Amino acid sequence: MNRLKQLFFRRRLYDDIDQEIAAHLEERTEQLVTDGMSAKEAASAARREFGNVGLVTETAREAWGWRWLEDLIADLRFGVRMLLKFPGFTLTVIFTLALAVGANTAIFSLVNALLLKNLPYPHPERMGTIYTRISGGAKPSDERHSLNGEQWELLRDQVPALISGLSGSTTGVNLKAGSAAAYVHNGRVSARYFDVLAIRPLLGRYFSDEEDRPHGPNAVILSYPLWRNRFAANEHILGQTILLKSDPHTVVGVLPPDAVTPLNADVYTPLRPSRDGEGGGTNFQVITRLRDSSTWQEADAQLNRSWSLRENRYELTGNPGVQVIYYSVPLQKGQTDPIRPQVLALMLSAGFILLIACANLAALTLVRVVRRTPEVATRMALGASLWQIQRQFWVENLLLALVGGAAAVAVAFAMLRLLLLRLPEHFLPVSAIPLDGRVLTFTLAVSVLTSLLFGMLPAMAARSVDFRSSMGGRTVARIGSPRLRLALIAGEVALTVVLLAGSGLLIRSLIHLQTLPPGFNSHGLMVAKASLDDVRYHDPAAFRRLLDQSTSAMRLIPGVVNAAVGSNLPYEFTGNDWITLSDGKEAGQQGGADWVYVTPGYFETLQMPLISGRFLTQADGPNAQHVVVVNRSFARKFYGGGNPVGRYIDKDTLIVGEVADVPLSSGLNPVAPLQTEETLYSPAAQLEARLLSVIHVWVQPDWIVRTSGPVSSLAADMQRALGSVDATLPVSGFYGMSDLMARTLATQRIEVALLGGMAALALLLSAVGVFGLVANMVAQRTREIGIRMALGSSVGRSMWQIGLTGVGASLFGVLFGLLACAGALRVMRSVIFGVGVYDPLTLSAVILVLLLFAWTAAVLPALRIATIDPAKTLRDE
Amino acid sequence: MKPSEQRDLFPGALEMMILRTLKIQPLHGYALAQHIKKASNHTLQIEEGSLYPALQRLLKAELLKAEWSISSTNRRVRIYKLTPAGAKHLQHEVSRFERMLEGITRVLSPHES
Repeated sequence: MNRLKQLFFRRRLYDDIDQEIAAHLEERTEQLVTDGMSAKEAASAARREFGNVGLVTETAREAWGWRWLEDLIADLRFGVRMLLKFPGFTLTVIFTLALAVGANTAIFSLVNALLLKNLPYPHPERMGTIYTRISGGAKPSDERHSLNGEQWELLRDQVPALISGLSGSTTGVNLKAGSAAAYVHNGRVSARYFDVLAIRPLLGRYFSDEEDRPHGPNAVILSYPLWRNRFAANEHILGQTILLKSDPHTVVGVLPPDAVTPLNADVYTPLRPSRDGEGGGTNFQVITRLRDSSTWQEADAQLNRSWSLRENRYELTGNPGVQVIYYSVPLQKGQTDPIRPQVLALMLSAGFILLIACANLAALTLVRVVRRTPEVATRMALGASLWQIQRQFWVENLLLALVGGAAAVAVAFAMLRLLLLRLPEHFLPVSAIPLDGRVLTFTLAVSVLTSLLFGMLPAMAARSVDFRSSMGGRTVARIGSPRLRLALIAGEVALTVVLLAGSGLLIRSLIHLQTLPPGFNSHGLMVAKASLDDVRYHDPAAFRRLLDQSTSAMRLIPGVVNAAVGSNLPYEFTGNDWITLSDGKEAGQQGGADWVYVTPGYFETLQMPLISGRFLTQADGPNAQHVVVVNRSFARKFYGGGNPVGRYIDKDTLIVGEVADVPLSSGLNPVAPLQTEETLYSPAAQLEARLLSVIHVWVQPDWIVRTSGPVSSLAADMQRALGSVDATLPVSGFYGMSDLMARTLATQRIEVALLGGMAALALLLSAVGVFGLVANMVAQRTREIGIRMALGSSVGRSMWQIGLTGVGASLFGVLFGLLACAGALRVMRSVIFGVGVYDPLTLSAVILVLLLFAWTAAVLPALRIATIDPAKTLRDE
Repeated sequence: MKPSEQRDLFPGALEMMILRTLKIQPLHGYALAQHIKKASNHTLQIEEGSLYPALQRLLKAELLKAEWSISSTNRRVRIYKLTPAGAKHLQHEVSRFERMLEGITRVLSPHES
């Protein structure tokens, strides 16, 4: 019989042994009876000669080598029975494990999807991007930079070791094919872009060099989902013309079904990078692939040689003596470096929660060992070894770990769903966060490790228990030093303090950003965005007409008080411009400023206060004097706070007014997600054709209306008003001002939600820990307390003494926690705005909250002391 | 109690004796016990029960085969029989034992002319 058959038929083997032995005894007995013994004497003599029947049977069965398995199964069954017998313990452990391990699993799957999983392209290790290291000088840095047109041309032509692909910002454009119009995401890429990704087209080809040159023929590549949904997977799509931005484009290719690009766009058009326009500034992203015959060193050498000889080295502006090195970096690192610190901080926090959970579970398990000492003592008296007892406990812990781990996967799944729902689209560079093999293995490993951790402490403590005396069941043994449990509580509380302080700072930071003085009236406003990236609106007259007529139409909507258009609104990411002061003592000075174009009525619609001069009016038309309105920060930066009205910039542009500052998201000098910055407001009517033809590639203007009260069909009315001027202009979205702010502060809000959630969980677990500690102490000392009370101690005093231990441990924990904060909080400096890292208000609040929870958790079980009847206790003695 | 802990027996001795006995003729457990006791002229004190674990070990190692049948006294018994592998193993063990015995004997009788 082979081994496997032996396993499954061992029942039969064991039965054979039993029958054999029985037959042997029978035969011997008969023999003895024949020899003259009485039946009873013969039977016992036969047994005596045979030896210990039970032992022989066991040893005979052992010969087959399945003892270990049968022991394990017995342990498992006993374990399940024990766990079911104490459902409170079992459920608490599983619940705690599910939450703690679940949080870790959720965070790890984020880490896995973002940092660990390979990019979904062939040979991802040969793909990279370019980092610029600036050392020495005022602001050393080492990060990925965007490229300008000159850098791109040199990279493309003088670095043969790399195949390079360039992309610009993804824009929203209007697609029109046949009669259907839609708003789609357009990725603008250079000719070789898909070669870098090593994706072969499903149909057709990629862009030719001719199409990628300025003024080349218009071409478009469709993504697979778009081709399938909007064009019904038409195989004859190649060569057909569709209207993008009202400009005819020829379809030259279709991407394969599972193609993923860093841009995640619906259509792709040629980028046409040059040294002018967009290429005049660093506005392009680059990805590279190493050619088969080259090495990274060769590529870097060629790159440095080529770029060091550039005419226009922006890195050196204001920093003449610095050392600049360009080097290639794996693409995965380049894409994930910006979020790496946050993700790792999340992992650390999740690890804290796991430790806190382990401390609680260790305490719980300790109590369980105590409760089961009678059972354990009985087993040992019957011959079980210490190893067998311990093995039993380990098996139970493992069972709990497995069940807890399974529950944790479910919890992680739910947490991830919730997280993805709250995140804005395209926030993460990946589209899905799967719970794949690696994540599940992680969950299993963490569950088992946790169970080892929290099982180890009681197992070590159990060795010192005097089981004999505890068999009576009356004495509840004191296992392990109480100091150990107090230390666990202190540790938990310390970790909780750190988490609470961190999330407290993030919350204060977010509140600070959300309550920046708005500089306008943000109530009663509705915003509609539409894409004007359309050849028809390259003509200034058409552009002016659209803006005039649409705002007039919107003003006719009942309930609307005012309407206007602006290229940017407060709280949005704002483009910028480089200006030169033209008169007075500041003549010749240059600087950057944020730049917005607006229609007359913009400031009035927003109700921005006028500080001096006037707002823009209809009179500021294309043939009139070029004018601008500036804000307070502009006046402060360029004119030292003096009145800017009447001054000239850029030779002939007159400043006619000064308005208050509004918070915006800076592209010029980002210090915080929302800040006030020097801003210029130009009349939309005075935009030149040259600027008009490029600006709407990356700016989507906002139509803004103010209503006197809530208007139920406002969105539909605005769409109709816009449609009455241009029927083919779909609105890409409707927003309130708070939506715009929420979009800009999305990262901060996520941070608060995540870290705050974990801090709350940690607080809960710590409170449970303190509660458990005090409750257990009350249970252990019930007899002692009863006696004391009979001898004259008051209820209050007993409660005070017991509760004090719990609060005392927490106090120590708070102290340690504050010490830890001294080091830990410093790393948050770059993500906190408007508050200092050691903000006293936050720290005081944390201490207060924690002490409140700890005090409540200690007092509640201590109240039970009031129910101890000293007379009853004495009677039990 | 493992057979190896018994007095006078070294590990493998019991198995060797069982194989030898069954080589002559297949027997069931009780008969085997009686046979060994008699053959050793009652000098070896073997607990009868200790046979059974040994028999199982030999079964597992496929040196023996077992079959239920009816004995001459109309009793249902499990008969053990030597396999070819068992016969070979027996031969091997016996020659090893004899060599060992020869060596010990030599040491114990140093004066040999």
